[in-house]
Amino acid sequence: MSLMLLRQTWLFSQVELSRLWLTRRGLMTLAATAVVWFFLLRYAIAPASDILQEPNFQKSLTAAFGMLGLHQLLNWPAPELTLYWMLSLVLLPFLSLVFTANQLSSDAARGTLRFISLRSSRTAIVLGRFCGQLVVQLCLILLSLTATLLISAVRQGGLSWQAIEASLLISCHLLIVLMPFTALMTVFSAWARSSRLALSLAIVTLGVVFGLLSWLIYHQPDAAFVLEYMPGAQIWQLIPAQGWQSLQLAALPLAQTAIFLVIAQQILSRRAL
Amino acid sequence: MQSIINVSNLSKSYGRNLVLNNISFTVNSGETVALIGQNGAGKTTLFSLLCGYIKADSGEMQLLGGQPGSQALFGKVAALPQDAQLDPAFSIGQQLSFYGQLQGLSASEAGAETKRVLALVDLAANYHTKAGALSHGMRKRACMAQAFIGSPALILLDEPTAGLDPANALHIRELISDLSQHASFLISSHNIFELERLCNKVLYLQDGKLQQHHAQPNESTAHISLQLATASDAAVDSDAVCQQLQELAGITDVTAGRNHEYQLSYQPQQVDDFDIRLLQCLAANGWQYKQLSKGKSLEQQLFAQKKAANA
Repeated sequence: MSLMLLRQTWLFSQVELSRLWLTRRGLMTLAATAVVWFFLLRYAIAPASDILQEPNFQKSLTAAFGMLGLHQLLNWPAPELTLYWMLSLVLLPFLSLVFTANQLSSDAARGTLRFISLRSSRTAIVLGRFCGQLVVQLCLILLSLTATLLISAVRQGGLSWQAIEASLLISCHLLIVLMPFTALMTVFSAWARSSRLALSLAIVTLGVVFGLLSWLIYHQPDAAFVLEYMPGAQIWQLIPAQGWQSLQLAALPLAQTAIFLVIAQQILSRRAL
Repeated sequence: MQSIINVSNLSKSYGRNLVLNNISFTVNSGETVALIGQNGAGKTTLFSLLCGYIKADSGEMQLLGGQPGSQALFGKVAALPQDAQLDPAFSIGQQLSFYGQLQGLSASEAGAETKRVLALVDLAANYHTKAGALSHGMRKRACMAQAFIGSPALILLDEPTAGLDPANALHIRELISDLSQHASFLISSHNIFELERLCNKVLYLQDGKLQQHHAQPNESTAHISLQLATASDAAVDSDAVCQQLQELAGITDVTAGRNHEYQLSYQPQQVDDFDIRLLQCLAANGWQYKQLSKGKSLEQQLFAQKKAANA
């Protein structure tokens, strides 16, 4: 990877970060995220944390889901983190599709990409916008995690190092989980003429692919292994995962991300600007 | 002279519509070239091909020795594409600085360069203004400013003064004229007057094919365009004027046009002071001239033949 490519990728990421913090649209995204997490923290995570700590509930959970390893969820250093982890794993991939739908399409429709492409390769544009979106999502994850830790600190009267370390692990995992979904939107935004169309195409395509796979597996049960290669397939294995060694599950999403980015680069390279 | 654009046998079609049909041309360093053609003639398509925005069906193109859109041309080839807009969410200063950094400038260098190019288009005071808050003309000038970042050797401008008020259009023409000392320009416009003033070479696209004209041809027959002042409307009879002008030594043809315009053709070998004799003729008849220019106007060079053919 050339030095210029790295530099330009970094510059694109900085622009995306500025878009989050310094533009009206970015501030609206922040506000929307804050509202969603306020309600989740206030009406779901905070009350459920108390329930999670009850010995009877813990026994019931272990008895019911012990075979699946879900009792491992109780091993997070704070119950707030347990709930945050579960909610994020399910919610964030969908939110990622929405928030990252406008990586390239608006700039292409407006003609801004014509100015940029005279100064930067299309590979750098794809990589830069993707990395920029990841940085933005990392910001949102860190903000919501900080709020979760604050609630935990208030309830427990302090914050343990284990909770902070667990938060870092959660951030890494969530970022890796979001990578293929963000890269998928890079593909669709390189192709579509608007962010709405990109999002619609992504939802329809995912729906159609899962529908076809279900039909295939119904008729050919041996083909069930294909589902393990779909974006987000590792999420179910991640839910009970603990410790840094669980990062070994990152290989699949990283590979999916690389494939999607290559496809996006090819689409943008062939696209008339 | 070093060639900076080499195009050979270039073709591009959209579906069944052949927009560019096997065109070839060369632009040399230091030349300011006009690209002219009717609506839909393929001017913007040619621009897009030269900028690397679209791919050609066949043919070869080289700009400064590199392929359009290649990394070797970053910062060396700049363009004002038609209808392209800056991101309305950011200030024009932020965006131009970003472009400067993409070209390899440091953040401080890019900031200084942005201020310089914004001053060139008279937008220095709008550094912090968001692109979405600018008027159409200001947006156009901001888009033009991005083409001057760094030291591009070749600048492609698609309709640079379209939508600008006369004062700003004049300012942009003067700016291009000044900058053409340091860079080569390829300018597409429908404003023949503008191109005639700025350019020393013309590429005329017609029916997907290219015709080249030089704005200062070396011909055996010379031409003068004359327009008489309208104040003496009542006293001027076009037939009488033509008759008098026909009597001038060396004259070969006189054509009367609208608004008391006359096109004169003469043989400079026969009389080396034809213009002086013409002025003496006007003075002797009491006719005042409004405009007198040597050579055929670009409009006449390009369209007179077509007009005659249609007639």
